[in-house]
Amino acid sequence: MSSDVNIAQFRFLQRLLLLHGHWCYRRISMMICYFFYKNITFGLTLFWFETHSSFSAQPAYNDWYLSTYNVFFTSLPVIALGVFDQDVSARLCLKNPNLYAEGIENILYSWPRILGWMFNGLCSSMIIFFLTTSSLKHHAFRSDGRVVDFSVLAATMYSCVVWTVNCQMALSINYFTWIQHFVIWGSIALWYIFLLIYGTLPPTFSKSAYLVLVEVCAPSPLYWIIIIFVVFSTLLPYFAFRAIQLRFWPMPHDVVQLDRNRGLKVKQIRDANPLPYIRDLALVLFLIQAL
Amino acid sequence: MSSNPTSSSGAGSTDPSAARRNSKRPKYSRFTQQELPACKPILTPRWVISAFMVVSIVFIPIGVASLFASRDVVEIVDRYDDDCIPGSKSAKISYITGPSDKTCIRTLNVSKHMKAPIYIYYQLDNFYQNHRRYVKSRSDQQLRHNRSANEVSACKPEDTANGKPIVPCGLIAWSLFNDTYSFSISNRNLTVNKNGIAWKSDRDHKFGKDVFPSNFQKGGLIGGASLNESIPLSDQEDLIVWMRTAALPTFRKLYGKIHQDLQAGDVINVTLKNNYNTYSFNGKKMLVLSTTSWLGGKNDFLGIAYLTVGGLCFFLAMLFTLIYLVKPRRLGDPSYLSWNRNPGGR
Repeated sequence: MSSDVNIAQFRFLQRLLLLHGHWCYRRISMMICYFFYKNITFGLTLFWFETHSSFSAQPAYNDWYLSTYNVFFTSLPVIALGVFDQDVSARLCLKNPNLYAEGIENILYSWPRILGWMFNGLCSSMIIFFLTTSSLKHHAFRSDGRVVDFSVLAATMYSCVVWTVNCQMALSINYFTWIQHFVIWGSIALWYIFLLIYGTLPPTFSKSAYLVLVEVCAPSPLYWIIIIFVVFSTLLPYFAFRAIQLRFWPMPHDVVQLDRNRGLKVKQIRDANPLPYIRDLALVLFLIQAL
Repeated sequence: MSSNPTSSSGAGSTDPSAARRNSKRPKYSRFTQQELPACKPILTPRWVISAFMVVSIVFIPIGVASLFASRDVVEIVDRYDDDCIPGSKSAKISYITGPSDKTCIRTLNVSKHMKAPIYIYYQLDNFYQNHRRYVKSRSDQQLRHNRSANEVSACKPEDTANGKPIVPCGLIAWSLFNDTYSFSISNRNLTVNKNGIAWKSDRDHKFGKDVFPSNFQKGGLIGGASLNESIPLSDQEDLIVWMRTAALPTFRKLYGKIHQDLQAGDVINVTLKNNYNTYSFNGKKMLVLSTTSWLGGKNDFLGIAYLTVGGLCFFLAMLFTLIYLVKPRRLGDPSYLSWNRNPGGR
């Protein structure tokens, strides 16, 4: 990411590069990967539905659900990620200048990582669609014998998608202030509030969403059980992958986090062999100073 | 991190307010300095294993409960479209489109005790009620208000017949299911309650009390049932149920309810009228009698899926415990850092 920054004093360069440079790199790369993931997850459920509607281009969801997905229910967490996320605290960033090498080595925005997130989106959409349609088949979904219709499948699958992408955000970040809690859980709550309000609009306007939450979905225990199941099942592969990655192939910021977690002094890390590009960094700083 | 004095301290003034006025340092707040109180959870071995264990401890009982609920449901499914009309496909099609009497007698055996209320459904297979053009082919305005009887633009090709608008217009209404069923046990008729089978919101808010069918099924091709023109749409519950389009190509719709128990070993005689043509598109028709549980109908999938995922999480918890015990990661080991893995350079 290139941007123009003015600094008043030369000593501010240390914080600018090592702290904000590292954070910005992590935020931007993480945000882009996550953005692809959440849209692939959502869009591909529409595609899988086409296999069950004879490819007639019937959207699986109500028109308004489609329009508001990227505006209301999944936008704020990504913005919070891009603006506020900190993978390593300020103090540790400055104590471990080698963390800046993550950006130089392009660890967080390499093709395997981008494609990995897209693949995560593909798998998530498949799991969500398959589990939702298999649980909501032609049988009754409530104790009063009512059967599933288009509005029920749409509301259930959409709820699963919104829950899953927001909980995926909660799993991916390691830094929770009141802002992150507010936007993540708030987005999910906003979906239900929207469904409530939209459902009370006249049926000529709200069409298939008329009273779908209050009358149809919320009183059905199956709806809630499906959401719990689908969310946990969809996030399970990522969770297991992340646990294995942290154990066997931790990234530099992961190592710093894990050791900080154990209260370890960072002195041992700094005593490691210096990098050749730290030599380059010193050269750059010297040249700037000389100018 | 740097706590140096302000940059303009060369003035020599000892007045703190003057020093503050000369400083360009921005006002400190935890938000702008990104120092908000935060919790920073890390996926340590303890968290990973506990998370998997908690998920498996929660999922396995839910799976057992769901499976028991599904097993409690008693369901009788009878596919009758093949047996009611013998012969090849073309023979079936010419029979169903002909004028002959289409009564068919079927026998259902009750294997287990079924508690009231027992729900009667008709199930259709390979019927794409979720096709885009089919779903579009209705006029919500016309269904709701008498004054909007002429708003039929979305209903093509079933919008007008003989120059007059069709009420209710559209393909969904035109293809209304018209098989009928009547039940008897040992020559006693079973009363089927056909009230309250549609959603209340549909009856009250989507279909008008002052809208009556007119000009319906009067075109060249008849697609399904005809409607009684003296009953308003809000009371035509079969139509309302049918017009709530299904999500998937295999679906059931509620036909009625039976409010008495059925004992194990009962033999139910069904007199049905096999009117609806599903033979042209290789569809299937089935009659279903089913009880319900607190969770709904007889669907084992969720119970089995919960048990599977719960078991998988338990297995993963054990696996991770093994990994962390057998090969623990030495803390503070600098060799894990990527820049130390190839010390000579990139």
